[in-house]
Amino acid sequence: MSAREEILRALRAASYEAPLPNVIASNVLASGAKRSAGDRVERFIERAQAVGVEVIHAERPALVGLIAHHATSVGVRSAVIWEDELLVPVAAALQAAAISVTDRPEQADAGITTADFAIAETGTLVLTTSRGRPRAASLVPPRHIAVVSQDRIVGTLFDLFPRFGSLPSALTFITGPSRTADIELTPVRGVHGPVAVTVFITE
Amino acid sequence: MKPSPHIDFDRNAREALGNEFLQRALRSAMVRFRELQAPVIAEIPEWQALRAYAHEVKLHTLGRLDRYLQQLEQEVSARGGRVHWARDGGEAATIIARLARGRYVVKSKSMTSEEIHLNEALERAGCEVTEGDLGEYLIQLAGEAPSHIIAPVVHRSKESIAELLSAAAGTPLPAEPEVLTAAARRLLRQRFLRADVGITGVNFAVAETGTIVVVENEGNIRLTTSLPRIHIALMGIEKVIPRVADLAVFLTLLPRAATGQRMSSYVSFITGPRRPGEADGPEEFHLVIMDNGRARIQADAEMRESLACIRCGACLDVCPVFERTGGHAYESEYSGPIGAVITPLYRGLRAAGDLPFASSLCGACGEVCPVKIDLPRLLLELRARVVRERGASWSERIFVRAWTWVMTRPARLGFAARAARMLQRLVRRRLLPLPYPFSRWTVSRDLPVPPARAFRDGWSK
Repeated sequence: MSAREEILRALRAASYEAPLPNVIASNVLASGAKRSAGDRVERFIERAQAVGVEVIHAERPALVGLIAHHATSVGVRSAVIWEDELLVPVAAALQAAAISVTDRPEQADAGITTADFAIAETGTLVLTTSRGRPRAASLVPPRHIAVVSQDRIVGTLFDLFPRFGSLPSALTFITGPSRTADIELTPVRGVHGPVAVTVFITE
Repeated sequence: MKPSPHIDFDRNAREALGNEFLQRALRSAMVRFRELQAPVIAEIPEWQALRAYAHEVKLHTLGRLDRYLQQLEQEVSARGGRVHWARDGGEAATIIARLARGRYVVKSKSMTSEEIHLNEALERAGCEVTEGDLGEYLIQLAGEAPSHIIAPVVHRSKESIAELLSAAAGTPLPAEPEVLTAAARRLLRQRFLRADVGITGVNFAVAETGTIVVVENEGNIRLTTSLPRIHIALMGIEKVIPRVADLAVFLTLLPRAATGQRMSSYVSFITGPRRPGEADGPEEFHLVIMDNGRARIQADAEMRESLACIRCGACLDVCPVFERTGGHAYESEYSGPIGAVITPLYRGLRAAGDLPFASSLCGACGEVCPVKIDLPRLLLELRARVVRERGASWSERIFVRAWTWVMTRPARLGFAARAARMLQRLVRRRLLPLPYPFSRWTVSRDLPVPPARAFRDGWSK
């Protein structure tokens, strides 16, 4: 008998019925319920800053200029950029600011992506991968710059999962920069992933 | 399989108590964890309801693991992943070693891989293996075992870590966490870029979508699941959950209970290998589903709730015994209260029967467990089993018989209480410390002065 058959047979022999609770709807959760869109943005900013994320408000017309300005001011010389409608003009603006655009994340100083969603309660960015949106962009370079639209900020985790029909090959939650406290519990940023995360919130 | 060697917790605990650095490090680490956890748990008014929900989901799923594992297999396969089944740790290690044979491997922290001593098997198969998690990498450099689920090197000072990393980097490094972490980043980054195979554990596996979920802070799991050509994930059969929506609850509970974070820095939801046109992610995705004694525990109605554990470490952080002995005293990858329950279940009472007694039964572990495992009940049940198997000592049997005789008649109790008061006063005045065998009690406990009058006498007036 194969391992599969043997394991399943043992489990079947000892199986029993116990009720599966109904999924918790988000409005059951007082902590996330009925928050207005404006409140959600405020909460996201507070919670993201609490884990060390820099948050910058950007009106849509100013967005591209602000990203280029930010990248220049922190010394970015090369960047990898996700293919996204919102980011198309960013590449040109960076090149105008003498920042090269590369498709080699390990050689970039910054990765620039959008976020499909953000979670207010935890200050979390939610990224999905697909063609033109590699996983490494938000991971391998020492800086991650992300753009998220206000209307994509949900209240809690409970509001997020119903938004997905099917899941991509990789869905990633990012909450602050990479961190460790393995050496005498001293918090240190940027152990494997980015040292710094900057979020531009746009309408 | 050869029998596991006996774990002598008493001796290990005594040794740990004599280690001054360990005592200081453990105390401050456990206090720190508790200080971080309390406020982010308190801010969720529905915490108790979420615990109950998580417990119910886990116990429901454990009842029909056969069905959910088959569904998981089907969904993983439908998305181009391959599923392997392993009866025990040896089989799982063999499967993984065959897939990785001769290749360069990076591995993320996984308690399950510790459980089956995967690194040794991979090295025998000619693989070079590097642990990606900073703590686990340091453990690997030191040739040790992790001492806490969440903080594997909590037993080591920054000076001793500086020595380890200086040797690895070939250049002297100061004992500063920032500098040491940066040095490890450089050392490990090269290895991530070069690796052919990435191995991870699994925090949750979602049956309805074939998704595995892994939770971390450092980013090494993301590198492990993004850069190498092959990703192998190893899970125990108890890690499956029915629905994506259940994750909202589990991911609210786990980071807060584990590290006191509202969310861990990174949570990766992996559904099959990379898809056509994608620039990164593994070309091959393998999921190894391992039993290794779990089906036996599932069939044990008294003990099966121990399989609901989500490996957060919260029960370690509140345990007065763990806070003094540390993880190594348990001689198992699973320490603290949950370790004292599952190690005897995996390795047998003969080998690990001391561990359920490594508890004051204060009940703190059961109160904090985010999936509401009744750890004190499980510890007591195991103690009963140990006694049934080994038999109680003659002194314990005489004591219990005498106790029963006294306590079942009021007159006997009254007489015994008066006698005890007199005896105790005498003892206080001239006999302390008590001679053996009573010294085993007084060596670590005070003998309180009895009140002049018994409570029962006062009450009856």
